[in-house]
Amino acid sequence: MSINVLVVDDSSVMRTMIIKTIQMSGLPVGRILQASNGREGLEQLNQNWIDLVIADINMPVMNGEDMIDQMREKTETKDIPILVISTEGSKTRIERLKNKVKGFIRKPFTPEIIRDTIIEILGVNDHGE
Amino acid sequence: MENDRLNDVLYNVAESVLERLAFIFSVPAENRDEIPVDSTDASCVSFSGPFNGSVVLAVAGNALSEIAENMLGLPEGEGLSLDQQHDALKELVNVICGNLLPEIAGKQAVFNFDMPQMTTEKTPSCNENNETKKSLAKLDLERGRCDVILFANDYIHQYLSSLPAESE
Repeated sequence: MSINVLVVDDSSVMRTMIIKTIQMSGLPVGRILQASNGREGLEQLNQNWIDLVIADINMPVMNGEDMIDQMREKTETKDIPILVISTEGSKTRIERLKNKVKGFIRKPFTPEIIRDTIIEILGVNDHGE
Repeated sequence: MENDRLNDVLYNVAESVLERLAFIFSVPAENRDEIPVDSTDASCVSFSGPFNGSVVLAVAGNALSEIAENMLGLPEGEGLSLDQQHDALKELVNVICGNLLPEIAGKQAVFNFDMPQMTTEKTPSCNENNETKKSLAKLDLERGRCDVILFANDYIHQYLSSLPAESE
């Protein structure tokens, strides 16, 4: 089994960091797609089979929370697991987000946290099983 | 006393984020001159919430390329575009700001952030409401220098007395 991942973040540097981390994690990754805001993320989801969405929250055009809400309204995307990686530090907001997504990681992150959280969310391991 | 505590928090957060996000070890350089924001590369992000303000990250020397190359895991002199380097600087100030405010106001406080941007002549600090400079952290990096500046309105003062007396 290989997993297709969509990374949604307005910072190209952050997207590259996350993608490198995933590629070096040893996880069975298939395609990794990118989007720079929530609207682009929804477009990618309409066009591609995605197993995991990794999304920032504070983005221009459409923020991550609006994208997540729209994903949850559509039959095709409502069950796709979402991992939020954000600078958000408010406990109130983080708790609200955690009710909508499978995982939350605060920036700055370590590669191990991303790998372990993806394993926990998807139930895969770094042997591809 | 309260200013010392705020400076400690700013130094701790800036050093920690530089180390964890950009894999850069920094050294406090309190005695050197401040980097002039209007004549160098600087990114900033403004916020609103229990208090309003902005955080500015100014770099000098070769710190801009050092930060961008380190964040992307590239060797020195890789020739990154200016856009990529600025993107790295904007992300860095965004993460510093996101980690700084809960340290000051507590984890229950809710802040809204604008998009980080590079400073311009018209917006030297993202600080359109003329909030005053409350704290400054001057750090030396391997290939350059960086300053992190916190601007805020006076509502910040209600939180300063509860900051830890010593840096942890």
